[in-house]
Amino acid sequence: MNRRTFFSSSLAAGVAACRRDPRPRLNVYNWSAYVAPDTVPNFEREFGVRVRYVTYESNEEMLAQVVTGNSGWDIVFPTHNRVPPMSSMGLIAPLDHRRLKNLANLEQQFQSPSWDRDLRWSIPYMWFGSGIAFNRSVAPAPRAWADLWNPRLKGRLTMLDDPEDVIGASLKKLGLPFESTDPEQLRLAERALIEQKPLVRAYLNAEVRDQLVSGDVLVAQLWSTTAAQALDAGPSLDFVFPAEGFPLYCDCAVILRESRRQELAHQFLDYILRPPVSAGIAQATLTATANGAARALLTEKIRTSPALYPPPDVMQRGQWPGTLPAAAQRLRDRIWTEVKAA
Amino acid sequence: MNRLRFWFLLPAWLWLALLFLAPLAIVCAYSLLSRGTYGGVELPWTWESYRRLIDPLYGTILLRSIALSAAATAICLVMGFPLALFIARATRRKNLYLYLVILPFWTSFLVRTYAWMFLLRDTGLVNTALIGLGFLREPLPLLYNDGAVLLGLVYGFLPFMVLPLYATLERMDPALLEAAADLGARPWSTLLRVIVPLAKPGVWAGTALVFIPCLGAYLTPDLLGGGKSVMVGNLVQNQFTNARDWPFGSAVSLILMLITLTALAVFFQRAPKELL
Amino acid sequence: MKRGLAVYAAAVYLFLHLPLATLVLFSFNASRFTLWEGFSLRWYHAVFTDPDMADAMWNSIIIAIVSTLISTVAGTLAAYALWKRGSRLLSGSLYLSLVTPEIVTGISLLAFFQWIFRWLGWHLGLHTVILAHVSFSIAYVAIVVAARLRTFDASLEEAAMDLGATEWRAFRRVTLPAIAPGIIAAGLLALTISFDDYVITSLVAGVDSTTLPMVIYAMARRGANPSINAISALIVVVFGAVILVSERLREA
Repeated sequence: MNRRTFFSSSLAAGVAACRRDPRPRLNVYNWSAYVAPDTVPNFEREFGVRVRYVTYESNEEMLAQVVTGNSGWDIVFPTHNRVPPMSSMGLIAPLDHRRLKNLANLEQQFQSPSWDRDLRWSIPYMWFGSGIAFNRSVAPAPRAWADLWNPRLKGRLTMLDDPEDVIGASLKKLGLPFESTDPEQLRLAERALIEQKPLVRAYLNAEVRDQLVSGDVLVAQLWSTTAAQALDAGPSLDFVFPAEGFPLYCDCAVILRESRRQELAHQFLDYILRPPVSAGIAQATLTATANGAARALLTEKIRTSPALYPPPDVMQRGQWPGTLPAAAQRLRDRIWTEVKAA
Repeated sequence: MNRLRFWFLLPAWLWLALLFLAPLAIVCAYSLLSRGTYGGVELPWTWESYRRLIDPLYGTILLRSIALSAAATAICLVMGFPLALFIARATRRKNLYLYLVILPFWTSFLVRTYAWMFLLRDTGLVNTALIGLGFLREPLPLLYNDGAVLLGLVYGFLPFMVLPLYATLERMDPALLEAAADLGARPWSTLLRVIVPLAKPGVWAGTALVFIPCLGAYLTPDLLGGGKSVMVGNLVQNQFTNARDWPFGSAVSLILMLITLTALAVFFQRAPKELL
Repeated sequence: MKRGLAVYAAAVYLFLHLPLATLVLFSFNASRFTLWEGFSLRWYHAVFTDPDMADAMWNSIIIAIVSTLISTVAGTLAAYALWKRGSRLLSGSLYLSLVTPEIVTGISLLAFFQWIFRWLGWHLGLHTVILAHVSFSIAYVAIVVAARLRTFDASLEEAAMDLGATEWRAFRRVTLPAIAPGIIAAGLLALTISFDDYVITSLVAGVDSTTLPMVIYAMARRGANPSINAISALIVVVFGAVILVSERLREA
């Protein structure tokens, strides 16, 4: 290759890189498996825009980018108890309800949730709980968090890659409150987790679904939506909400303050609030939607799924974790690093 | 000097200031700041991050990194020495043999690490073959442990050991070997008493070229260790992403730099010419 | 002992090449499991029709070419100037950057970019990845070119200047053509290093600058996907060819 060819071809590449798609662009960062295959393309077609849709597997992964204040994202989907600190750090743009005509479609309990009374910052999107997914070949079947410390599960057990869920499970196993801020109690929970570590094959979020279906993993701490997806693909699987109690979460859509496309972002939020769109997503991804009008459009099988929409007696054992005070949050983060590193 | 030299060196000086020194300075500064609860850094200035490093937990990670690196280096040495000897002694096709060593190394590191994932997984080739041939009933957990990481490190850095060894062995004067034979030494004896001592500079160079990169390895323990075989590189990466503790991550990376430079200084003393 | 050594060497070569060979072999497997079920090109088809993969490949190519251009020019000029008269600070820093673990380079650049971007209001993107790649490539280029310069006879340049050429002219007409193979070899080296980089790129890439290694890494993390075999096989072939060319040039 001679110099001239080298230079001219790279110049061409450079020029090509500058050609831009004339349509406006929206950058959406969401959890994996949270939209139907046609959700985003339909939006692109209807509004004549291009959407860059990228997925993540944990809040921490998303926050690491967003907290810098210039991540480049327009819309992200934090779990509900991340919304208050994100808004107090000035990361979220306030919502203009005049542009969100479909807001009334939300279910009653999500119209004024504890983490965002006026829905000023966030729109509830999908909700779920944490529990245990397992292969029916495991006997006796796991019923409580404490069953995840069973030595017979060695190497076939996974826990979530989420500090709140894992530390919470350990606290619950010890009979302590899920949202404990007491350093003594947290240290006890840490010790239990370090004891458990040799049994744990890996700390995985939704990535473990395929391994559950294939039988590589027998028991997994899992979110109920991922579990519903696994159950759908693996007939020998089952899911249970633990006896000691479990957390309930709601993933919410927020518009970042750094976004320069506030108008378009509002249009996207309004779009996913439409009942047929929300129902389409819930149907395709087997998730529990916060959209009441959409819920009515779901098939019988999904509407009555015990993993997605647990009966009231099970819901009684669930609680919605709030935002922890800064010192407790930092202590938990440190404990998580120590558990992962042990 | 002159204008030519000034303009010629300008890009390099710009690189030095903006892309090398400034970032390192920021990391030093960050290591002394406090962590924002949800990420980022904030005042006040504190030694907290360094104090945390004294915790035995992190000492374990450091020791594990050094131990794995040392083990990988030792294995590379034992594996690589006979191969280097073979190539040095070859009368024809020396270049071919050298290419065969270099070629796999220069294909993508990520791909080569994934190749071992493909082989060692529960549903991977090794297990499928062993089960298919009837030697096993259930798959062996070959992946996601220290052993897999060690294998990955050895596989990744073996050529780094072979090449300097070859360079030294090739320069060895054959007359010395003849002399040893004339004096009645058997092949094994010659190997241990003559060849190995003469190859010492190459050994040190190869050791440096394997040990130092292994210390800061990130991809190998991440993919082959499954996030459980934590080495220093993984710890740093985690602090700058999911754990969002930039001050602590900065402190750890500075310590890593320190250890790397110390190792380099030690090896450089023993084999200055080879390393340059 | 000679035969024993040859057998041993064969075994080690097998160890070095078998993993890649099986990877490439199974990229042609019709089944998505590790049981051979017949020859098929479906995974290659999957690779070429995946829009995300295409985006990532495009980004990787642009980043590699631009960063290689910059670092080759900067590195060559620096190597030449240092060859004429050394600078301990610069040489030492270049070596230091080679020895620095990738993760440390990556996080330091991330911290630096985030810090100045707060004032400039910029985002992470292709430009930050390019700058990062330049950052670690310069040292490699400088080393290769410096090695080449050591085999160059300085008196040739002096002769040219005695005949009336300016320093710049002597460099351009005498030295540069003589060391050109080394420069191109260095450039090819920088190209492959840039194309293959994961650690540093993943830290400083922004929303729009996913590269091919990042896509491969995400797929590898997620589990069994023979498309990785296909894209890996392609990379192996391309890299192998580039490096062969580079080695030939280096010795020319």
